[in-house]
Amino acid sequence: MGEDEVVLRVENIHKKYKDQEVLKGVTFEVRRGETKVIAGPSGAGKSTLLRCINLLTKPDKGRVWLEGVELTNPKTNINKMRQKIGFVFQEFNLFHHLTALENVMIGLTKVKKLPKDVARKKAEEALLTVHITEDLWNKYPAQLSGGQKQRVAIARALAMDPVIILYDEPTSALDPQLVGEVLRVMEELARKGVTGLVVTHEIGFALEVADEILFMYGGKILERGPPREVVFNPKHEVTKKFFENIKRLYGGR
Amino acid sequence: MDPVWWEYIPYILQGAIWTFTLVGGGLALGFAIGVPVAMGQKYGPTWLKAVLDVYVWFFRGTPLVVLLFLFYWGIFPVLLGIKLDALTTSVIVLGLRSGAYQSQIFRGALNSVDEGQMLAARALGMSKWQAITNIILPQALRIAIPGWTNEYAIILKDSAICFTLGVVEILTRTRYVVISTGEALGPFLFAGVLYIIFTYGGTKVFNIIYEKYHIPGLVGKGM
Repeated sequence: MGEDEVVLRVENIHKKYKDQEVLKGVTFEVRRGETKVIAGPSGAGKSTLLRCINLLTKPDKGRVWLEGVELTNPKTNINKMRQKIGFVFQEFNLFHHLTALENVMIGLTKVKKLPKDVARKKAEEALLTVHITEDLWNKYPAQLSGGQKQRVAIARALAMDPVIILYDEPTSALDPQLVGEVLRVMEELARKGVTGLVVTHEIGFALEVADEILFMYGGKILERGPPREVVFNPKHEVTKKFFENIKRLYGGR
Repeated sequence: MDPVWWEYIPYILQGAIWTFTLVGGGLALGFAIGVPVAMGQKYGPTWLKAVLDVYVWFFRGTPLVVLLFLFYWGIFPVLLGIKLDALTTSVIVLGLRSGAYQSQIFRGALNSVDEGQMLAARALGMSKWQAITNIILPQALRIAIPGWTNEYAIILKDSAICFTLGVVEILTRTRYVVISTGEALGPFLFAGVLYIIFTYGGTKVFNIIYEKYHIPGLVGKGM
């Protein structure tokens, strides 16, 4: 299990919805400890790509491997493999009927079948890692702010000891003043070596911690490379336009 | 001199035991049927949905009194060759009918749980069944309580129709009193008030249960 080990391999993924080809052959790898950012205009297929990785959406063609196990093989127990893939949704999707702590615990008790006290300890640790303090543990999702909800959702993914965490525009549904607290947590995790694949428009985050940016356009990876290169010195006109727009919107953080 | 009707009040009140046997049995059986039917209708294969649709359609589309007669004199003795007493038949018929209605309450509640809950559960590695039992149902059942309270009020009032099979519940006993005392206004008014008390008393109890299990932010849509 070296640092350079490829943990996720995505090969030639295609996905079509009716007549619309959303993904037209996407291939890339993620190594252990890496953080990769997927950027691109809406409709480029970013979210679909992410869901094709843990098979929440079934790709029409192509293959996905996690730690050498092919997820797209029908014989693979996908429920077992999904335990190893954290997924953070744009809309948080915390379980409404469970407290913050229970939200983080349920995967440990029901999926990993850990004893309650062990699960509780792990969940508490994960919550503290994302800076959700004890006073919030017994609150229901509706009683938390957007930023707190998303951090609980990150803790829920993190507590499962995933091989990789997939983030699907984790800050897009947040009020602007709450974006920072979530990005900070994600940056901390990235620095700790938690492997991440992040769909986001936050170039500040990408420039800070990403090892690579994959720029998607029209269902394909149009351009890829180190963040600084792709953001400040892109090869394609579309890429340039996209990041110029983003920089204008976000004040070039 | 004929006895006055109010001397029979304890006799009428004893009918409440039968009434609540009908209501409790009907609601419980209806629940046991309604939840799986709702799950089948939402998550089951197409053929199962079709079968369940026919069940719901039949029991919602037929008058209760027809169902009682059909099962008591037709389906049980003739078709199945079993002789069931009036009370058992009534509970089964009320339960089958309530199951059809309850399934629609629970189906509405299942539908009002947003899709993201299932996605998040599956993303954690839960099977579809685990996701339904751990995440979707606990939310749906809470959402369904107000609609279910209404079903209690309906089945309570419908239970009176079981007098047609001679179940000695409140209405049957009231009628006996009317016949033997020759007084109609008093006894029937008393029976009516009794139903009102049970309707609102029971509704109160369910509202307390709803409040107890209520979770902030979890509200049913379109119930």
